[in-house]
Amino acid sequence: MDAVKIAPGFEKIMPQEYQDLVNDGPYGRNLSVKDLGTFKELIDEHPLCAGCTLTLSLRIVLASLPNPENTLIVTCAGCFGVIHPQISLHCTIAPFGTHNAFASGLKRALKVKFPNKNKDVISMAGDGGFADIGLSPTFHSWVRGERLTSIMIDNECYANTGGQDSGMTPEGVVLNMSPLGKNFPKIEFAELAKLAGCAYVATATPTNPRLLGQMVRRAILVSREVGPTVIRIATVCQTNYKLSPIEGYNKAKSFESQTFEYFTKEAQKYIESIEKKSPKTELNLEVGVENED
Amino acid sequence: MKEKKTVSPEYMILEAPREKKFMIGNEALAEAVKRANVDVVVVYPITPQSEISHLCGDLWVAGYIKDYYRGEDELHVMASMMGAASAGVRTFTATSGPGTLRAMEPFACWAGYRLPIVCPIMGRGIGTPANIQPDSVEIFYLLETGMIIFHVESPQDFFDMTLQAYAIAEQPDVHIPVIVFCDGFFVTHTREIVETTPDDEFLLPYNSNLSPVPAMDMEAVPVRMARDCLVIKNNFISYNANASWQQEVRAAQHRARKYIDRFMGGPLEVINPDAEVLLMASGSAAAQARVAMEIAQEEGIDVGMVKIKVIRPFPVAEIAKLCEKAKLIMVPEFNFIGWLAKEIKAVVNNNSKVFSGPNVFAGMTMPPEVIVDEIKKLLKLTK
Amino acid sequence: MKINIRISGLGGQGLVTAANILGRAAIYDGNYSSVAPFFGAEKRLAPTESYVRISSKKLYEKGEVTYPHIIVIFHPEVITRGKCFTMPFYAGFQPNGWLIINSESLLISEEDIENLTKLNARVVYVPATKIAREIAGTELATNMSLLGGLVGATELVTIDGLEKAIAQRYGGEKFVASATTAVLDDVLRKKYGEVQELVGKNMASVKKAYEFVKQNLEG
Repeated sequence: MDAVKIAPGFEKIMPQEYQDLVNDGPYGRNLSVKDLGTFKELIDEHPLCAGCTLTLSLRIVLASLPNPENTLIVTCAGCFGVIHPQISLHCTIAPFGTHNAFASGLKRALKVKFPNKNKDVISMAGDGGFADIGLSPTFHSWVRGERLTSIMIDNECYANTGGQDSGMTPEGVVLNMSPLGKNFPKIEFAELAKLAGCAYVATATPTNPRLLGQMVRRAILVSREVGPTVIRIATVCQTNYKLSPIEGYNKAKSFESQTFEYFTKEAQKYIESIEKKSPKTELNLEVGVENED
Repeated sequence: MKEKKTVSPEYMILEAPREKKFMIGNEALAEAVKRANVDVVVVYPITPQSEISHLCGDLWVAGYIKDYYRGEDELHVMASMMGAASAGVRTFTATSGPGTLRAMEPFACWAGYRLPIVCPIMGRGIGTPANIQPDSVEIFYLLETGMIIFHVESPQDFFDMTLQAYAIAEQPDVHIPVIVFCDGFFVTHTREIVETTPDDEFLLPYNSNLSPVPAMDMEAVPVRMARDCLVIKNNFISYNANASWQQEVRAAQHRARKYIDRFMGGPLEVINPDAEVLLMASGSAAAQARVAMEIAQEEGIDVGMVKIKVIRPFPVAEIAKLCEKAKLIMVPEFNFIGWLAKEIKAVVNNNSKVFSGPNVFAGMTMPPEVIVDEIKKLLKLTK
Repeated sequence: MKINIRISGLGGQGLVTAANILGRAAIYDGNYSSVAPFFGAEKRLAPTESYVRISSKKLYEKGEVTYPHIIVIFHPEVITRGKCFTMPFYAGFQPNGWLIINSESLLISEEDIENLTKLNARVVYVPATKIAREIAGTELATNMSLLGGLVGATELVTIDGLEKAIAQRYGGEKFVASATTAVLDDVLRKKYGEVQELVGKNMASVKKAYEFVKQNLEG
């Protein structure tokens, strides 16, 4: 890509990693999860726990961006706060819970600054950040119709702060602030998203990278033209749930039964026009479309 | 979008011809915003700020502001401002009282993000007990957020200081936010003569290439950059990086001084500095102090006045020098805390001659006569 | 007597536990101690430090130990790959200090040896991981071996004090552990059915390393 170039005179002093991103990065190449291993990724190290599925999910998301050269990410406090400096595109942390508000301002300003250019803005946070402290601004960004893709990594707890229950923890689970077991059910986050008028809502697990990658792509494309989109990645924090990495992976795999995709009619039409066929997930799941009434 | 004739801040603030109008503070502020070539405005209602938010909406419809929307609460409006300003556009918002406190987390973050946001705050009482009447108590909570703070005396100040705020905030070696604070209704809804610049001349647009921190817009790719070096130990960012970042923000505040001198004629307005009695005040209290000074002079008492326009960076050296000769320094304030008196006492050698008062709050008016009475009482005591 | 100890290693090796046990042992011996927290998000194999201060008089100082009298290195990579929060790993080292290193082979560079010699530092290598594997059957007892080695070299606390502290830490009393420490506690609980056995294995590692150091110092 021509825009991705080292400023003349600086070629010899830029570090190897930068050179690799310029020469072999994903910019302008329309790569996806199936190409992993053949290009320099936007993330290749992380300072999080061994076997962490948040990092796996992030890696899949970053490998699935339709236009990585024009994508920005807003994250928040938590394990994302720890990993965000490792991501090779503009990303930042917003005050906890405010990431969708921050992203709204960012997206609007980028539209003002570059009226003829598309900039994809993704907000990524955990279940605590989206469903508890961030529920209000997230919901408002949806009902305002902000063109954002919200990706929740739902590991069913506040992980970075040492394992407390969040609104997305299932009822009865014993964690650090629910010593007698959480006393209310898991928040129906995806249902809220549908109610708020999101154009595309999906749930996937990191154990099926191609499917998740396809959802990420669809979510971003729909958010460009139709309306806000949401993906909930159902997974587990193996450290705080006291599982080995393999046990954690298997638990995440067990969440595959929660996989689904929902399109509004307009979103479905839009995706059809791009993919040249009716959208179908790889698992041949029934695709939910908004009611005819 | 209207085709705009753009001028430099130097021209608009220091040279442009002025026309006398009669308007309330919120209108004067809107006139400044109209000329400031603002890109993105996000608002939320709270008394007594709401009018400016409405007026910004009208400006947006008329094409003077490029994007505008109402957010869901002040915390998230201020977070949206962070997003918009990070992208590298000129931004504006406003809040008051409980709204200010609701937004304290972003307010403490703005300067560190190096965002040249200009945010007027229309001060009012904060619970408990609740009060929408004028008060400058909020400034106390904002003092150490790292932001530059101007204190507005009148609708004229509201017009001038807002334009000055953009000129100063956007300097590459400053590039931190400016709070333009007025004491609520005393300014927002008082109608006075305001001299405005021509309304078809607009500030040059903001240029994010001059920002000391690259704009978050993916225009220089590839990039791997943390705008906020979260020290969490295991991501290998040293305490030093965080510490020096904080020091840099404070240094930016100090570097603003030369622009405060250039665009505002300095942080102080001084009248009769050699007087026996000096009234030192900011905001609306300065207005009352002016009149008190006149009354006292007529009664034969030698009184001077120092209006403090800039609260942060606090003009330490100048205040210390001005306080050397006077026998008595009185600091009238529209708040219960007496924060301005504390600031002054902290920099004056012999501060037993600095008196905090009168302190008027809960919306009461501070008649200049009351100030004069206090002066007389104190003079009897110190004689 | 006032001694500052800085322990450097990698996350998951039990540095914080070692610091807590050492501090508590000092109290059982009748001294004062304070154990300073290393506060950060926890992460396996990331550089980690823990700090202990031991004194015959009441201790007030807070924060990390910048000028240690004793440095304990839990993992060779602290030295060989610079996985350390202080650079060099002996920054701030007081003269005549003790440097206890978990390694089976010599690790220190020529330049560092020169600097440490100038400080009259006394360097002791303890094959702590090896001892832990052989005696306790798990690498998680590395910290115990190192404590044994430390005491063998410095007699900073008594073996008796250590035993009491270890029994208390693992003895079933509720210990406020951080998330990942709690995970490792569970691993140990699964491995050793009886608390007695766990404490016993730990003490065996302590004693073995203690003897190892005593023998080698004599030579």
